[in-house]
Amino acid sequence: MPVTSEQNVSAPSQTQDAPFAPQDVLLRMQADLKRALQKPAHERRWIMVIDLRKCVGCSACTIGCVVENKLPPGVVYRPVIEEEIGTYPNVTRRFLPRPCMQCDNPPCVPVCPVNATYQRADGIVEINYNQCIGCRYCVTACPYGARTFDFGATYSEGTPEAAGLILGQSAAQTMEREPNFEYGRAWPREGEASPIGNVRKCQFCIHRLEAGMLPACTTTCIGRATYFGDANDPQSLVSELIAQPNVMRLKEELGTAPKVYYLM
Amino acid sequence: MLWFKRLIWLGVAVAIALGAWGIFARLTTGHSEANYGSYVVWGLWVAMYLFFVGIAAGMFMFATLDLLFHVPLLRGTGRLALFLTLITLGAGLVHIWLDLGHLDRIWKVYLQGNLFSVMGQIVWGYTIFGLLTAFALLLTLDWFKTPAWLLRVVMIIGLGLAFFLSGAVGALLGVQIARPFWHIGLFPVQFPVFSIGSALALFLAVWAFFGPRSDARYARQIQVLAISVVVLQLIKTYFVWADFSQSMYGGVPMNVQAVEEVMFGQYWWAFWLLQIGVGTVIPIIILLVPQLRAHYWLAGAAGVMVLIGFAVARANIVFPALTIPEIDALANAFNDPRLQFNYFPSAMEWAVTLGILGLTTAAFLIAYDHLKFLKLKEAN
Ligand code: SF4
Ligand code: SF4
Repeated sequence: MPVTSEQNVSAPSQTQDAPFAPQDVLLRMQADLKRALQKPAHERRWIMVIDLRKCVGCSACTIGCVVENKLPPGVVYRPVIEEEIGTYPNVTRRFLPRPCMQCDNPPCVPVCPVNATYQRADGIVEINYNQCIGCRYCVTACPYGARTFDFGATYSEGTPEAAGLILGQSAAQTMEREPNFEYGRAWPREGEASPIGNVRKCQFCIHRLEAGMLPACTTTCIGRATYFGDANDPQSLVSELIAQPNVMRLKEELGTAPKVYYLM
Repeated sequence: MLWFKRLIWLGVAVAIALGAWGIFARLTTGHSEANYGSYVVWGLWVAMYLFFVGIAAGMFMFATLDLLFHVPLLRGTGRLALFLTLITLGAGLVHIWLDLGHLDRIWKVYLQGNLFSVMGQIVWGYTIFGLLTAFALLLTLDWFKTPAWLLRVVMIIGLGLAFFLSGAVGALLGVQIARPFWHIGLFPVQFPVFSIGSALALFLAVWAFFGPRSDARYARQIQVLAISVVVLQLIKTYFVWADFSQSMYGGVPMNVQAVEEVMFGQYWWAFWLLQIGVGTVIPIIILLVPQLRAHYWLAGAAGVMVLIGFAVARANIVFPALTIPEIDALANAFNDPRLQFNYFPSAMEWAVTLGILGLTTAAFLIAYDHLKFLKLKEAN
């Protein structure tokens, strides 16, 4: 029985690994993830499905992502684009979370003059921060505005200093200099070192995936509007979701073949 | 003319002083004082890079008129043209180098580069082009006994490279499906024309201000340069017309918005007053009217005006395409000064550009005064 995005539960028959049923979609996706990780990387096809009817525009995913990846000011991986549609009295609002589409045919990849951005075997488009020269050619090549440049700013810049190490700028800066763990290694913010001076973007939280966890935005989404999993697994929730007529992808006509699907 | 030179030196000194501050700020504070962000991700320096490397490629093409095709009227101008190629190329490359996020990693483009990237091809291409130009200049000096065919071969290869590279700069933008304003076949075709146009304007200015007026061919040279600049300006304007009218007629929103941004947006005055008025209409009038262009300083000023128009045109190619959101309402999705769709260069960006311009001008003035071989063999 196919599961519609309206339902928060899935049929027990489709989640052999699940310990109980009915099941929360997060648990279902967690089980899907576990199954996918047992396959070789090139047999996985990570995709994200976002149900626009369920998104309430709370931006919890945006903030979850900022916290998970310790994003500095001006760097955002998953903004939620808000649009007002119609005229009074027929007015509504649409919320469109926009992560990197992890395009199957990514225009950002061939333009890179030093091969710093490339597609992994599982389809995720990765950036090697230590290779990137910061030319920003890939930023101009992305049709979705999904890449941002790290100017090296911190949120605590220009904030008041207080005595001691618990309050004030130095305390906040200690926190801001903490490393993030993108791509499975620690990236402390020190001087001009990468990722400062590099282009950055959503990477489907590779570091979490490889530790068996769903992307931060998926677990943070309060509307359960974001789904994640392996499209090559016919039993996965995402495979079912994208086999519906109300699915669309952004700017498909450009031939980028995005791996982020929207349910309308 | 002494007062004129002093005036230029004064301008150069101010520009270099400002540039020293700008480059110091860039090297010590990174990109934090620049006004470009993650949406308008390329700014003044990229536009100036396109401008200067465009002149360099065009100037090499001009040099071939003397050194390869042996046009009698231009005999003796080749060396100076090669020298101008080198310094304008340097100005362009310094601009783009300072624009990088990691200046120290430039070597990666050479040793770990991606030759399928147009940018990678351009970096390699311009490096080879620079070396080739320096070699050609060396060959023209007759310091070594080298056969004449060698210079001919070098100039032929250089000419091919100059065309390829100026077109490739257009392709750098043109290959991008994300920006309909750039993604037109006309782009790589326009750029070689822009290159020759801007190079001839520079040579006209240099020749009118500093050229050997005692040379019997001088008046005719100025006339030919002036008419050539006018013709190229008309072709350039035709390209702009073709580009903009097709975009407006076609009605693809991102395209129309970009054209409207150029013509009626925040910086409409840059297009109408600087690019069209100062950069095209006024110089065309000056250069077409024999009585006006007979005043050599006026012809030189017209050359400078055309260059200003080209510089603005380069900016009007780079910025507008980037000021149109890839997805509607993206501008309001996440608030940060770096996530804006409007842009005006910061004081630091202007200072760096002025500094590079000052250094380039100083290099020319010093070399022209002290390197005898740059002088036209007017006695001949
Ligand atoms: S959305 Fe943009 S950054 Fe992400 S893979 Fe596609 S082109 Fe590249
Ligand atoms: S900014 Fe970095 S990843 Fe992007 S094209 Fe330049 S070198 Fe490649």
